[in-house]
Amino acid sequence: MTTETLLQHASELLAPFAKASNNPESNRLDVQITPGDLPAAAAALSNASWGYLAAITGMDLAPEINELEALYHFCDKAAITTLRVHLPREDQPEIPSISDKIPAASFFERELSEMLGVTVVGTPDPSRLFLPDDWPTGVYPARRDFKIEDAAPVPVVRKTPEPGRVGNRFVVPIGPQHPALKEPGHFEFSVDGEVITGARMRLGYVHRGIEKATEGRNWIQNLYLLERVCGICSHTHASAYAQGVEKLAGVEVPPRALAIREFVAGLERIHSHLLWLGVSAHEAGFDSLFMYSWRDRETVMNLLEELTGNRVNYSICILGGVKQDIVAEHTETIHKSLDYLEERIRYYLDVVTTDVTFLQRTRNIGTMSLEEATLYGTLGPTARASGLERDVRVDAPYGAYSQFPVTMVTAERGDLEARFVVRMNELLVTCATLRAIADNLPAGDIATRFPRKVPAGETVSRVEAPRGEAFYYIKSGGGDSPVRLKIRTPSLCNWTSVLNKVVGHQLADVPMLIAGMDPCFSCNDRMVTVHRKDDSSTITWAELRKYGIEKYKRG
Amino acid sequence: MTTLIALLSIMFFPAGIALILSGMLYEWADRKLVARFQNRIGPRWFQPLADTIKLLSKEEIKPSGLNGILFYGLPIVALTGALTAALYAPVLGFAPIHSFPGDLIVTLYMLSLLTICMGLAGWNTSSRFSTIGATRSLTQLFAYEAPFLLALLGPAMVANSWMIKDISAYADAHWWIILTQPVGFVVALIGLMGKLELPPFDAPEAETEIVAGALTEYSGRGLALFHIGKSIELVVAVSLVAAFYLGGIGNPVVFLIKTLGIVLLMALLQAMLTRLRIDQTVGMWWRFGALLALLQVLVLVLLKGWLV
Repeated sequence: MTTETLLQHASELLAPFAKASNNPESNRLDVQITPGDLPAAAAALSNASWGYLAAITGMDLAPEINELEALYHFCDKAAITTLRVHLPREDQPEIPSISDKIPAASFFERELSEMLGVTVVGTPDPSRLFLPDDWPTGVYPARRDFKIEDAAPVPVVRKTPEPGRVGNRFVVPIGPQHPALKEPGHFEFSVDGEVITGARMRLGYVHRGIEKATEGRNWIQNLYLLERVCGICSHTHASAYAQGVEKLAGVEVPPRALAIREFVAGLERIHSHLLWLGVSAHEAGFDSLFMYSWRDRETVMNLLEELTGNRVNYSICILGGVKQDIVAEHTETIHKSLDYLEERIRYYLDVVTTDVTFLQRTRNIGTMSLEEATLYGTLGPTARASGLERDVRVDAPYGAYSQFPVTMVTAERGDLEARFVVRMNELLVTCATLRAIADNLPAGDIATRFPRKVPAGETVSRVEAPRGEAFYYIKSGGGDSPVRLKIRTPSLCNWTSVLNKVVGHQLADVPMLIAGMDPCFSCNDRMVTVHRKDDSSTITWAELRKYGIEKYKRG
Repeated sequence: MTTLIALLSIMFFPAGIALILSGMLYEWADRKLVARFQNRIGPRWFQPLADTIKLLSKEEIKPSGLNGILFYGLPIVALTGALTAALYAPVLGFAPIHSFPGDLIVTLYMLSLLTICMGLAGWNTSSRFSTIGATRSLTQLFAYEAPFLLALLGPAMVANSWMIKDISAYADAHWWIILTQPVGFVVALIGLMGKLELPPFDAPEAETEIVAGALTEYSGRGLALFHIGKSIELVVAVSLVAAFYLGGIGNPVVFLIKTLGIVLLMALLQAMLTRLRIDQTVGMWWRFGALLALLQVLVLVLLKGWLV
């Protein structure tokens, strides 16, 4: 179905509820409904299998307008339907929950209610997801009249010491500090012997409020801020933001710049998946695979460094193009590195599909059927491993993806093994695309001029991160900074599936199951980076490398 | 004079200090080999010693709400068990210091004492990771104990003795038993890894699930004592397997090579295999390990009856 027919279909489905409706962009349908109609409207879309709930954006329009707005974004292929609900600002606004029909909405609703102060009636878990325990009640950081002085910590009453038993359940806490977690999150698993009977989750240990922070910075500054949403997929965030803002500003980005963006995104995918391979192997207790895959990951990290100058926050995107060019002398290194990586990836694909002891921990573990994957709203490789075809790069080719297409990699089985296979095969596809880009880079400029102010308007920018779709909603008021910027990272969508699938599995499988969706807490939380003021010692990369080698040589 | 010699031999050589140091040597060899297999550089030769000294000098934190006598006593009992076991084993290629008929069984149970102490230590704390780790430790004990015992019984049967000294003397004088009882050797080797909770049988201390298992709440001296106990267990058990299956004691240098050969094999397996879940471990032992060991014993019984 084309985007037009999809939007036509959505518009027909929503016709009974629509108070107003328009097409702000060629791929978007915007339907205004009343809060009471929301569950019926969401059900109409989900009953017709029209796409999935991509995000809920909560917005405080302004104190003088005295209205809040909740936007429910549904995506199907390239088409985006937004249900727009207006709520009164005063007297504890209420909105009905849609999570009985769409379980994935639960996390979005929790975020909406704690950030914007909207009571979501009937949501299964109304407890806090991101805000700290000592955050005062009744203070909502996403409101326009929020002042930081209002958020003075309130004392928290803690049960000490925490008993192992809660009622008749034996609860195993995992996190916020735990060897299985590389980033902080908190899980409570109730177990019966070794078998999981229930799971809860709490996030926000590294919440910095980046969405709010963007409103106080100009368009250029935000690029650097958003690049730091995630350390692994920094380019995803930078390019998603740049793409959205360029669309708003009506700036045409040179094709060469788009190709370079896709190239860096591909490298990022390789580094992310190899990192994930190592982490998952470690969770399973297969440290040899961990060590080898991380060694090979250095190849792609070095390549990234050579092309962009940085290993982590590549900072290659600028508004209107890219900062660095890929020149002829890079081509040989690129091909050599890709040769090596392809060979290693084939080897790892072989390992994860043939190693008997490893298969004991992955085959038929955490099997998620296509129906479940659809119901839980999974994204990225987690969805594709269950045969759910969701890949923004293919569904809605952005940037240079129509010129240098990728093929979608899916698997049928939906177990952990399938997730390994999908990711490794995806890397092989990525390598082939990277070669094509390196050999056929379009000629021309790498950047174009970008205005300081962006015309008023709103847009949605979607980019396929290594973990799935990253969703950006950007609203400009015509000034030099955004009015509202909403980030929804893929991990948040995948949690629902994990928390539901762990029940009935062994405790020993939990780290693998959590790792199986490649969670990224920092993008969930929009992470804090520690900045030490008094740390003035600097060391060059070559010195650091030398120091590291010497330190270990001594051993 | 004999008392003095006995005391010296227990305190310094070959038991006591020398035993502890050799335990560290084997531990280092194991860690270094695994590291090399995993493409890492691995620790320096004195790392286990440095770790132990560091732990011993650190504060020991006793969590609230547990039995103090057990908390402080269990590491000591565990270490005592391991050290006592070493008295009857041909460690470092020297004949056992003590011997009596049936010392094989006593040694094996002294070694199990360590696991039981760890299990109790885990149960003694209120930490959930410890409790689960303890349950897994003890579950695993029930899995490998019988097959491991049966595997060591094979050489005892052909040697017609339950004395470690006699069995190794028999092994010395005949063909290497590994050639006549290969199944027993495999079961013994894998049982050894289960006993030492080495990967892939490290579910009781799987760090990605339950942090450090039963010993999660231990720090400082208590942890150090458990670690020393474990490395001595490694020495004793490797010595037993080498003496039984790889042609007796011979001389200390040859024996060292034999035992390091076993450590090399174990390191290879550790690097190659993925951690088994506790249910998989138990299933594997009872479905294959115990049956194979029993089969071996049965064959031996039949052959012996037929030959004699």
